[in-house]
Amino acid sequence: MANRRQFFKTLAGATAGMYVMGRGGAANLLQAQAARRQIMVGGRRMRVVDIHQHWDMALPAEIVRGTPFEEFAKGGAGLDERIPLLDKEGIDVGVVGVNDFWWYEATDRGLARAICTVHNETLGMWHRMHPDRLVGMASVPLQFPDLAAEMLQDAVERHGARGVTIGGHVNGENLTLPKFDPFWAKVAEMGELVFMHPNGSANIIKDDGLAGPGGLGNVVGNPLETTVFLSRLILDGTLDKFPALKVCGAHGGGFLPSYFGRTEIGTQRGNQKPIFKKPPREYLRSQILADTMVFSEEGLRHLVAEMGVSQVVFGTDIPFGWPVNVDLIANASVLSDAEKEAILGGNLIKLLRLA
Amino acid sequence: MANRRQFFKTFAGAAAGIYVAGRGDTGAAAQAPAARRQVMVGGRRVRVVDIHAHSAVEEVEAVVQGTPFERQGRVGANRRLGPERIELIDGQGIDIQALSTNGFWWYSATDRSLASDIVRAQNEGMARWVGQHPDRFVGLASVGLQHPDLAVEQLDYAIRKLNLRGVAVGGHMNGEDLSLPKYDPFWAKAAELGAIVFMHPGGAENIVREGAFDGRGDLGNIMGNPLETTYFLSRLIFDGVFDRHPQLRVCGSHAGGYLPSYFGRTEAACDVRGNANCANTKRATEYLRSQILVDTMIFSDEGLRHLVNEMGVSQIVYGTDNPLDWPATVDLVLDAAWLSDADKEAILGGNLIKLLRIT
Repeated sequence: MANRRQFFKTLAGATAGMYVMGRGGAANLLQAQAARRQIMVGGRRMRVVDIHQHWDMALPAEIVRGTPFEEFAKGGAGLDERIPLLDKEGIDVGVVGVNDFWWYEATDRGLARAICTVHNETLGMWHRMHPDRLVGMASVPLQFPDLAAEMLQDAVERHGARGVTIGGHVNGENLTLPKFDPFWAKVAEMGELVFMHPNGSANIIKDDGLAGPGGLGNVVGNPLETTVFLSRLILDGTLDKFPALKVCGAHGGGFLPSYFGRTEIGTQRGNQKPIFKKPPREYLRSQILADTMVFSEEGLRHLVAEMGVSQVVFGTDIPFGWPVNVDLIANASVLSDAEKEAILGGNLIKLLRLA
Repeated sequence: MANRRQFFKTFAGAAAGIYVAGRGDTGAAAQAPAARRQVMVGGRRVRVVDIHAHSAVEEVEAVVQGTPFERQGRVGANRRLGPERIELIDGQGIDIQALSTNGFWWYSATDRSLASDIVRAQNEGMARWVGQHPDRFVGLASVGLQHPDLAVEQLDYAIRKLNLRGVAVGGHMNGEDLSLPKYDPFWAKAAELGAIVFMHPGGAENIVREGAFDGRGDLGNIMGNPLETTYFLSRLIFDGVFDRHPQLRVCGSHAGGYLPSYFGRTEAACDVRGNANCANTKRATEYLRSQILVDTMIFSDEGLRHLVNEMGVSQIVYGTDNPLDWPATVDLVLDAAWLSDADKEAILGGNLIKLLRIT
């Protein structure tokens, strides 16, 4: 591609090429600013940071042409539509990842690199345009762990990425296998937060294993993948090997934090020979984090009780239509003001080194 | 040990409870574990009833001899009903234990007559044992759900003629959802008879790909079991089984799996997911607070608190998984400072005394 601007125009496609403050120019400036919700707790303006936002980013057709991934040249809306949504919900910073991790199936190293490069460059560009509103999480080709480590570093150092998004497995393989150590080592070395997002437990369930009314392939399949992923990090000693590693599980950390007793006791039973060093609850309260997607005050109270407030971070799954819940947190009678501030943004401001 | 009082102090540890002489007690038997724990709440003796206990009866062995089920029908040492089971419940302070046979291996008996014989042997054998110890045990029936019309007859016979008090089922029928219309007569009969349905999972074989839970941590049990229960209860909600049978009461093992403890996503599902196609007419929480029950196998004070907050005290019942290697949770309930005495009594036994028609 000849120059960055051409690249961007091609990429943006039908959507507005550049987001400018107050759509429609200066005349609407006041209106646009007035439309931005401010979240107050105890008379103080909260800075709200959302760890869990998706962007279904379209790739330039030439990158995926002739590959099994041609369909990913068609994407959803551009990120310019995200800002008014953040404004409306009272979210100050949206942390955005490209999930589904379909590119893990790319067996060609060059292709994998090209795909993730586009992700990171594009997210980087959006971040530079809206540094106080949008932050990209690094997108990496985890099927090549050494390359993933390299690209993580690159994304953080050159494109303003903070943290890294990953799936719960790589083509069915557990991420605690020794081959993935170079990736974990790099993450831990750089102190970057890992955000794990599931995609229906394809590594665990039979096809149609959760079919039927209720959408359980997502409603159960997603938290299931997260639960297994986090459990393995404990059970296989990965969290011991990399004590600086911090991993946030999407959707309240799946089932793990909310139904922790069976995990705790399970490891103590006579038929077990655990190799991990600390009581499981210690990992839950230090190296494992969860977003707030539990949708009720009682669910939130329970999450905080089990994990500690430092491990719970605001997340919405925008744009997938789950309840945003910023008000639920801000108004939660079960949380102190300091706890609300930490969950709504304080924890993430530290973990992602946000200015 | 020098005297009885010293023995009790050592044995009781930190738990509240009074140990009194059990059966066959003589001076010399002071060191034998015949002492029966009596559970007290607010100075009152309360009855502890356990919904979740595994057993099998020898009557089945003859029936499965020479069939493909010979091995599964053999009664293993830890399923056997004998003096050691009474010692176990004495020691744990369980006044009445509701027995059930899990594994549900007989669901594969496609031959109607064999299925009928197996189930009859299980239920009559259970009734025999319970009949010998009516003050300590009640029985939950087996049924051959693979023949739903037969299961209806078996359930009717078990409840009305054998004095069993409920029925145990697995989470699926050889991979099929138990919410399918073909099983409706069974749910209808259970509701009609007021027979509580106790669901026990078997590692989510209907859901999980073979080998997916291999590796450290025994996840086939630790996760597969609650997964199966979660899916089973979700199917009953979202396929409208609870709506069709408003009197139906279903108890999910292991604190109901993930469902009650992580309920927000289930609740939001039908609102958020455009393809969800939910058949339930009420909000999911309404079933959780009325038709679904769970046992207390949650293993922490905070876990129990969350369960009670989500479901209400009336839906929580004491369960142990006897005789398997899981900590008893009677003291968890007793020590819950945030539960009233009445709530503790309900959870430990009051709820089940009603549901199992214990006098």
